[in-house]
Amino acid sequence: MPASLKTLGSLVVRYRLLVMLAGVLVFGGFTQDDFLTLTTFQSILDRAAVVGFLALGLTPILIAGQIDLSIGSVMSLAAYAAIALQPELGSLPAAFAGLGVGMLAGAINAVIVVGFKVTSLVATLATLLIGASLALLISNGQPVSSADPMFGLALTNEFLTVLSPRSALFIAAALVMFVWLKATPSGRNLYAVGSSMPAAISAGINVNGYVAGIFVLSGFCAGAAGVLQALSAATGSPLAGSALLIPAITAVVIGGTRLEGGRGSSLATLGGVVALGALTTLSEYNGIPSYTQAVYTGLILILLITLDRIAGGNGGKTTRTLRSAAVKQA
Amino acid sequence: MTLQTSEPGARPAAPAAFSAGSLLSMLSIPLAIVALMVLGSFVSPSFLTARNLINILNAYSAVGLAAIGSTFVAVCGGLADLSIPANVAMGALVALGAQSLVGPVPAALLGILVASLGGLINGVLIGYVRINPIIVTLGSGFLLLGLAQLLVGGGIVYAEPSAFGSFVAGNLLGVPVSVWIFFIVALLLHVVLSRTPFGRWNFAVGGNYEASAASAVPVRFTKATAFVLTGLLSGMCGVLIALSLGQARPIIGAGYEFVAITAVVIGGTSLFGGRGSILRTVGGVIILALISNLIVLIGWPTPATGLATGSILLVVVAIDAYLRRRTGTQ
Repeated sequence: MPASLKTLGSLVVRYRLLVMLAGVLVFGGFTQDDFLTLTTFQSILDRAAVVGFLALGLTPILIAGQIDLSIGSVMSLAAYAAIALQPELGSLPAAFAGLGVGMLAGAINAVIVVGFKVTSLVATLATLLIGASLALLISNGQPVSSADPMFGLALTNEFLTVLSPRSALFIAAALVMFVWLKATPSGRNLYAVGSSMPAAISAGINVNGYVAGIFVLSGFCAGAAGVLQALSAATGSPLAGSALLIPAITAVVIGGTRLEGGRGSSLATLGGVVALGALTTLSEYNGIPSYTQAVYTGLILILLITLDRIAGGNGGKTTRTLRSAAVKQA
Repeated sequence: MTLQTSEPGARPAAPAAFSAGSLLSMLSIPLAIVALMVLGSFVSPSFLTARNLINILNAYSAVGLAAIGSTFVAVCGGLADLSIPANVAMGALVALGAQSLVGPVPAALLGILVASLGGLINGVLIGYVRINPIIVTLGSGFLLLGLAQLLVGGGIVYAEPSAFGSFVAGNLLGVPVSVWIFFIVALLLHVVLSRTPFGRWNFAVGGNYEASAASAVPVRFTKATAFVLTGLLSGMCGVLIALSLGQARPIIGAGYEFVAITAVVIGGTSLFGGRGSILRTVGGVIILALISNLIVLIGWPTPATGLATGSILLVVVAIDAYLRRRTGTQ
């Protein structure tokens, strides 16, 4: 590859978020008259909130060099719980119960990864299957309608012109996480855990505590995604999150968070979620069938991790598995 | 993956621990199968009939092919192939969809070829670009399944009646043809894994990647081929199911990745490479088939099978992690 092409390539990889956003905006502006409007922007943000919470939970996980594949299943469980428990608990307590389900699932992941020292890839792969099966078992495979459908409708109302309550929650959560990751000692320690676990252990960082904590946080975020989705749809579906794992991972990777750990930011994830949401909205405006979304989302994910690998080229010596293995010795 | 290198001592110690309990470990799978059969005969009088046992085998022989491929993937340290459902769907849809164009036998071969191409994408990205196998196959599976759905618009493809189709769906000497195919492929690939240079390369690459590379083992080729093989066998799995059922849908292989992984780990093959056998995977497939039949006979709903599969996966991997730690510190 010629040197200039290579520089251009690595520039595109580095500023992919901006490249992608600009591409979507220009293409959208040309193909649809009403694409570049505040209404479109509001709808993109509003619908991005659900995947956004999943992606936010995944961000610290990836920074620490771990992975959580169970977030989609956990989201389904939380969504179902938040609606199915409404008649017994009332609407607001049921929503909190949904969050609790998410945290509980995250805590179970944490116990398996930190306590039983199972690599997070395999551990959360198993809990992905267990969670999905559990959601189908409890619900008999049927979605449940809300006993109080008006309760969650306000979540998608207009709020401050370009927001909705749920997108405002998502953006606020991303900002809080940004401050935590960048401006507090515990946030910075997380980067240390992801960059080099042995070094983090030598530095006296409680690696197991951090890893356990971020799995609970990821479960909580998946719970929040499930509760928001279920309340605004007034339906608790046992399949609510089953197809959202890949979009969430893709959004995080678009933002530039590396699968190898040690790098990433929640604001970049926010950007990635918005970029992917804009692309989805654009393809819907153009009447592209919904299956295509799976195709381009998968394509973007594979393309970006390949480019990351080639451009980041560290010889493949620091793999996720190596890091996950290191947690065993901690 | 290069997990071994981060656990000095784990591998040299493993064979010794293995031979000490080798009799028990050799007998454990047959014992488990006998125990499940005894349990089954208590649960239902119709369990221990030749017809039921053949039906059990028949239901799992197609997915068993994917499990055989997954054994190669696991042995060479590639963890798991999560794109199995997508490749199964591709194989099935092409095998039926192309029947009217090229005839039933070429269509079946074409289906297997297309699925192998899916495996080739995985193989290149994992073997040569060295990206994490779980993420690659998760992404490629999402992409290919989306493509499969796009291909048929989410509908069903029906088989045209043909002599080939009724042969594959029928019996040979009282045993279903798919069971024959499963056992013949298993025997062939057992010989390949245990008696050929390619098989030994798999063990070497999974046991110690760096050392194998230094010893002129074609590490990249070996890893890539394991994934191509899994794609090919997934395609065969899809073709078998499609011809047996006479129809194919994109969700035809949903959940098969978990059945394959769990069958592999029940057989005692470590997901982290360097150890495993096809015959033991066949044992794992039979055990899973018996468990799922027991669940049906007891009258539990279908998702209970997923719950059982996930829990078994978790427990077996946790035990594997524990044993590796123990042998590592001895």
